Amino acid sequence: MASRPTVSVATAEGKPSGATLTLPAVFLSPIRPDIVQHVHTGIAKNKRQPYAVSEKAGEQTSAESWGTGRAVARIPRVSGGGTHRAGQAAFGNQCRSGRMFAPTKVWRKWHQKVNQGQRRFATASALAASSVPSLLFARGHRVANVPEVPLVVESKTFENAALTKTKAAIALLKAVGAGADLVKVQKSRKMRAGKGKLRNRRFRQRRGPLVIYNPETDGKELVRAFRNIPGVETSSVFSMNLLQLAPGGHLGRFIVWTSSAFSALDQVYGTTTTASALKKDFLLPSNMVANADIARLINSSEIQSVLREPKGEARTKRAQVQKKNPLRNKQVMLRLNPYAAVYSKEKLGQKAAEHSKPVRPSEIFRQTLAEE
Amino acid sequence: MAAQRPNVSSDLIWQVTRTQNAFHVKRNSAGGSQFSRDPLNVLGKHSFKYSGYANEKAIGVQATENGGVAIITKKPSSEQKPAQSFVTVTFGPNASTRKIYKNIADKTAKNGYRADIREQAISRASAIRRSQRSKKDTAPQKLRGAAAKKAAEKESA
Repeated sequence: MASRPTVSVATAEGKPSGATLTLPAVFLSPIRPDIVQHVHTGIAKNKRQPYAVSEKAGEQTSAESWGTGRAVARIPRVSGGGTHRAGQAAFGNQCRSGRMFAPTKVWRKWHQKVNQGQRRFATASALAASSVPSLLFARGHRVANVPEVPLVVESKTFENAALTKTKAAIALLKAVGAGADLVKVQKSRKMRAGKGKLRNRRFRQRRGPLVIYNPETDGKELVRAFRNIPGVETSSVFSMNLLQLAPGGHLGRFIVWTSSAFSALDQVYGTTTTASALKKDFLLPSNMVANADIARLINSSEIQSVLREPKGEARTKRAQVQKKNPLRNKQVMLRLNPYAAVYSKEKLGQKAAEHSKPVRPSEIFRQTLAEE
Repeated sequence: MAAQRPNVSSDLIWQVTRTQNAFHVKRNSAGGSQFSRDPLNVLGKHSFKYSGYANEKAIGVQATENGGVAIITKKPSSEQKPAQSFVTVTFGPNASTRKIYKNIADKTAKNGYRADIREQAISRASAIRRSQRSKKDTAPQKLRGAAAKKAAEKESA
């Protein structure tokens, strides 16, 4: 890593403040959607709550099988008489009001362990992807008016509980070009399909910007300012969550950084060669290639100058082509029958036979033939 | 793309977003066609060549509300600054189509921008202009034959 690019810090009005910060090394870590998706599927399971059907459901009768000889199936049947229920089959998963097949149990494995190294890799990868405008666009964020990605806002805006009101928070987001993303979230709010409506998940909506702050300098008051804005989430720089950095396992979340949170990133993650100050035994993952632009590498003069010329001729004959009728296509005919050229040139096809009439056999021949 | 970030390239972005992205439209009908809603996609086709977000140079041709045409290009140098990276040129409803075509041709094929999509960009502009033309009313049918003329006269009388 020769020299890292710098990122300018924006004021609360969205103007460049003049200050710049070096890009933390975490933004140069490899972008690996495979790792992010794998880790996401794992940790997305860790917030689940156990559910199961009642232990007793479908088992609350004293049914017994009638055995053979009664011309009915040997499934347990409800005993007694005087009611419709008597004699009906019970217990089996195929029976009406029977127990379900393989009743769900609360001791199912609800949580999944994901290795810490993988979790850290995925978070670093998701952070790197959040600094690529193309990936933000592809994720659906409306960032066309954002002055710079990654977007860093002066911590002065938040320090000493300077930002506590939601109104001010909305004004701030609009000033830094995130207004279109807020509108997108508001317009996207739709009623959820299915039973989730009854289970406190009534509406679905898109995700907006994620505000990452440093609780040590920015304080925590800004959380209350931002929390009622639809789609906006907040996170401390010291406890970032992949579910927020790459929702749905899709890379490229739009992140608004406070300047102190942004400068804390090098402390949180370290670099590829210096260990992180806060994570034990952690070095940022290194890239497999120094330059990810493979097309540019291939087309570079260094590579092109040592390559051999392409083999074969400039135009090669295709082996498998459409079959042509030689009777209609002269060139195909000539390939098959070189004599055809002479044949047509001499107009042999039109010429009458040289001896138009057969010569009568001689008289002696006829006589010899008729001798017997 | 790679000017600032050694870990990112256009090809990588396409590989990451090829299977799913916000602009992708997939339908099972019509042989499983795949389209793109990217405003910078000149053909509306889901492919790396035409994708606007993955390529560092791309051109978008869009109809404007007042009946004109807007041409959007990307500046590769300000990749990390979205607010500065899009250049929009708008033509009003009365602009001559030839001027628009010339502008698009210059933008794409000159200076090594994107000569490979010049033709598609111009044909998109042409299609937009055609759709913006007001439709002529069909001319009233002429009366054919003496009998029809007579019948029409009778009706008017």
